[in-house]
Amino acid sequence: MISVVGLSHKSAPIDVRERFALPADRVPELLRSVVGRAAVGEALLVSTCNRVELVAAPRPGSTLEAVAEASRAELSALAPSAPQSSLYALTGGSAVRHLFGVAASLDSLVLGEPQILGQVKEAYEIARKTGTVGSVLHRTLSRAIRAAKRVRSGTAIGAGQVSVPSVAVDFARRIFGDLRDRSILLVGSGDMAETTARSLQSSGARLLVIGRTPEKVRALAESFGAEPRAWNDLAGALELADIVITSTSAPGFVIETAPVASARKKRRGRSQFFIDLAVPRDVNPAVEGLDGIFLYNVDDLSRIVAESLLTRGREAAQALSIIDEEARSFDRWADAEQATPLVVALRERIRVALRVELERSLRGRLRHLGQPERDALETMLDASVNRVLHEPTTRLRQAASSSDLDVPPFTELSAALEHVFALEEADGDEPRPPDTQAALPPASDPAASLPPGSAPAALKLGSS
Amino acid sequence: MNALATIAFYLGVIAYSAASTLFFLELARQSTQGVRSAWGPRVLGLGAIFHLLHVVTASLLLNRCPVESLHFGLSFSALVAVGAFLLLRRHANLDPMGVLVAPIALTFLVGAQFVGVEEPEAFVSRPLLMLHITANVVGLGIFVVAGTAGLLYLLQERRLRDKRAGGVASRLPSLDALDRATYRLLLSGFPLLTLGVVTGAIFSRHLTTSGGAAIARTLLGFTTWFLLATMLLLRRLAGVRGRRVAYGAVVGVVCVLLVVVVYAVRTGGPGS
Repeated sequence: MISVVGLSHKSAPIDVRERFALPADRVPELLRSVVGRAAVGEALLVSTCNRVELVAAPRPGSTLEAVAEASRAELSALAPSAPQSSLYALTGGSAVRHLFGVAASLDSLVLGEPQILGQVKEAYEIARKTGTVGSVLHRTLSRAIRAAKRVRSGTAIGAGQVSVPSVAVDFARRIFGDLRDRSILLVGSGDMAETTARSLQSSGARLLVIGRTPEKVRALAESFGAEPRAWNDLAGALELADIVITSTSAPGFVIETAPVASARKKRRGRSQFFIDLAVPRDVNPAVEGLDGIFLYNVDDLSRIVAESLLTRGREAAQALSIIDEEARSFDRWADAEQATPLVVALRERIRVALRVELERSLRGRLRHLGQPERDALETMLDASVNRVLHEPTTRLRQAASSSDLDVPPFTELSAALEHVFALEEADGDEPRPPDTQAALPPASDPAASLPPGSAPAALKLGSS
Repeated sequence: MNALATIAFYLGVIAYSAASTLFFLELARQSTQGVRSAWGPRVLGLGAIFHLLHVVTASLLLNRCPVESLHFGLSFSALVAVGAFLLLRRHANLDPMGVLVAPIALTFLVGAQFVGVEEPEAFVSRPLLMLHITANVVGLGIFVVAGTAGLLYLLQERRLRDKRAGGVASRLPSLDALDRATYRLLLSGFPLLTLGVVTGAIFSRHLTTSGGAAIARTLLGFTTWFLLATMLLLRRLAGVRGRRVAYGAVVGVVCVLLVVVVYAVRTGGPGS
């Protein structure tokens, strides 16, 4: 299982979050430092503008609480002066559900935004390259990504646009399709109008800027890489523009029906999209009556944004049930994974015993055997271990993941096996390397539960 | 040969049905993410291959040229419509039009089975009749796609005027793409319609005042031609486009289909 320690837009304001922000090139260093701690076996960092979260898995024998504590200490070191109360820590099932929800964008500032899944994948990739991901985080992230994809394809969580500029771009695309080589006319200035113009411009459209104050127009045009136009050329600019964004502080209409009708005629009826972001309005609503002219004011766009947010909110419940289902499935896998150290120890115990006997025979009565015969014996030994342990492995995993009363409790089975095979002593004699947990084969690994008769080429016996 | 024609027909029906379903599912799917599926057009193309195989084998079987009778003519029009759509979608994102084109192709393919294979008219030369029918069936196929594009234009435009986000309309092609498609298709189909009207006019000397259906057909043909000619001229000279062209395309297609219906339900030949 895992722990998640971090902060997000829900727990900390931006001035706190920015103190924890870590440049991408420093993330590997942090991850190495985290797994350098005694309790932590695996780690990755999800770092976006809205969250910094350290996801970690314990080393064998360590507890999730110890991992969470180590993660908290590492994150605190990033911003010693920041209030530590903004850091939250989740462990076990709640950490898994949280991570799945983050990947599915259920915990995002804008519900259903699509970027977060890419950021989670990127976080995994950085950790993988740094070498701080093992089987637990690999499996957890795979499940988180799968859950996020299910949420995205099975619900309307990402439906609609949730900002005025994105709504404007969406509608512009519905009118014009490809926005490359289209012309946008920005009339006046204003934050929302400029953001909208920038969004449209980033789709490849050409931008013209027009306003009453030439200096302001020139400065704005320069900042956008746009073409400045004189105010008295408004009619000419209207002719060129496919999309017109207005945001002036004029008390009355700046664009009346007659110049629009005239421009429409000169444009030979080509469609025109007016985005009026001014209050009071800049464009006479009567222009909407003209064929091929579409006019959206700030109320229209805001209503669409509100509708999209409402739809996404309604879809969140369904998305949560998908997350829950995926998390439960993950829990079952994680429970079954409890059996892995025991299975590995058991396998090792039996294999070592057989190996000792075989080596003795190879030095004695079977000394005359050549390499092919020795290889055959190796294969036979592996196959025998697999055959003997196939059924016990299956039953141990069942016991670990089942809550059925008919199935013997895993703790009892585990204790009995450890006692019968003296596995504690083996552990004591041969301490495992610190990254054993990471190196363990996952439940789905064929080598972990090979059917009888098959033999991996893992154990190589000396020919002496 | 008979078995091959039958198998090709059924495979064509299955492929067109599957394509209709795939186009519908693609349009109705909730998610707006991800790459749009190309299976609809592929399956539709496969349907067109079976359809063509059916037309060729069936006409060989009946020893009848496909463009000599309404039976094959209807079927052939659907094939042209599918071909025109598949060709057009290569130049613009018009895939959602498949949601109408595929069921229309299916209807024509199946519907043609209920139209008898009539004997060629005795009083007109066979080459002229073939030219007349070829022009009309190919033109009909192209106009069907133009009408589909016009219909979707009107739907998309209505949604934009209503200022509604999301829903099916958000996955329809853009207004500009639909407008361009409608205009290009009308422009391509118009010479064929003209040829059909001219060759039809040659037959008209065989008409008598008692041939009500034939007269109605001729009048409808001329009206359609006049309507489309006016629209194309207005577009060319005065830049009339958008909603009016879309309405014109839809009305034009309805008129062309009416001509086919009148022809199908006629009691005798053109002279009746």
